[in-house]
Amino acid sequence: MPVGLPEFVDNPENRCPVILLLDTSSSMSGEPIQALTQGLQVFRDEVQRDTKAALSVEVAIVRFGPVQLLQDFVTIEHFNPPTLVAEGYTPMGEAINFALDLLEGRKEIYKANGIQYYRPWLFLITDGAPTDSWQAAAARIREGEANRKFCFFAVAVEGADMETLRQIAPPERPPILLTGLQFQPLFVWLSTSMKRVSSAKVGEAVALPPVGWGQITT
Amino acid sequence: MSWTTIARSAIGTRHQDQQLPCQDAAAVRVLGEVAIGAVADGAGSAALADVGAKLAVDTAVHSLSRTEIWWQRRQLSWSALPEFPSTDLLHRLFSKAAQRALRTLARQAQVNDCALDDLACTLLMFLATPRWLAAMQIGDGFIVVRSPEQSYHLLFQPDKGEFANQTSFLTSPGAIATMQVRLWADTPLFICAATDGIERVAIRFQDWTAFAPFFQPFEAYLEEALTPEPDDTYLVNFLTSDRLNARTDDDKTLLLCRYQTKA
Repeated sequence: MPVGLPEFVDNPENRCPVILLLDTSSSMSGEPIQALTQGLQVFRDEVQRDTKAALSVEVAIVRFGPVQLLQDFVTIEHFNPPTLVAEGYTPMGEAINFALDLLEGRKEIYKANGIQYYRPWLFLITDGAPTDSWQAAAARIREGEANRKFCFFAVAVEGADMETLRQIAPPERPPILLTGLQFQPLFVWLSTSMKRVSSAKVGEAVALPPVGWGQITT
Repeated sequence: MSWTTIARSAIGTRHQDQQLPCQDAAAVRVLGEVAIGAVADGAGSAALADVGAKLAVDTAVHSLSRTEIWWQRRQLSWSALPEFPSTDLLHRLFSKAAQRALRTLARQAQVNDCALDDLACTLLMFLATPRWLAAMQIGDGFIVVRSPEQSYHLLFQPDKGEFANQTSFLTSPGAIATMQVRLWADTPLFICAATDGIERVAIRFQDWTAFAPFFQPFEAYLEEALTPEPDDTYLVNFLTSDRLNARTDDDKTLLLCRYQTKA
């Protein structure tokens, strides 16, 4: 039959944004910061193994202290995991605010370019207690969670101030205490979760893989 | 002067990998000068999504058909209305059909002893006459129409939440009350209804416009295939092509109608 083939409109992939909020204060120096650095590479490698997730997942890294945008949003193929250096205090409140602003900006870019996106993830990893005022940031987290604007996860490395983290994290998703320095399984879990989110379709409630790398503390 | 129609669904690669059935369904029927069609996309999270989608489209088409049959028994037809139907009338027409579909799902849920949400699906339906087209939509997917002097036009913006994986379903609370309904007051020479698996390649997200080069070949296909029903190779090949599967891993459905004016 002499009919041509339909041409396809060149739509961009749906994006699946994730911000890693990493505590790189001086208390993380030594083994923890090295394990965290390796974890980032595991994350990159794991996501890259899934061709669709590799095009969808966009990662940004905000480190604190001092608060610094270590990596603006990039798709995984352009992501070069940085080597983390431990220094400074733990301005967690400032870092959370910075990350939320960064996310708002990203959403604006998606909207302006007609890119559809999944519910973003904010992934906080810390071993300390905030050294700045965090109450306003915590309120923003809880408000955003309540309005389903993003998913916030707090991962506590041993020594973290669990009491404060519990007040920052949304009640329905309490902080997770990392077993030892099991950053590798943590990032494998994160990449698996991102792969599931990035291939989810209409109204699918994404079932996250079980957390085998830590303890959920309530 | 008649309608040429065809509807086909193909399973997405993701469901194939997971050994799940195709959860899309479509139904189309021609009654004299009137074409009636429906497509549905079963929710991925629903256990019996394939059953729900099939029941929904069959019930919807059956319900709309009954209204045309009612007219025809009185030597009348939707196509013979002296004026365009009011939006109020269309709301009632589609509400009734959607409610019937919902009741069928509720009965099926009882039979299967499962939750109504296990049969969740989107639902799009239309009723077309040579002078106008009326359509409704709950959830995502799309209906595109072309009239003689116009290009391809997207009837509704897909009903999506902020995020790419959110939509509403026939079974969602208040879905029928908030469904989108529209009258297209011009000859619908070509109609394409599809599930969201096709959205990515046919609709430009920047401004939600229909991408004409996607639709033109299908119109040409219907023009040439006098009996598309047995001659479905072109459409089936397209829906199962690697080229399409490279762009979407979802189930996909195309329901195509063309109105041929007298040669």
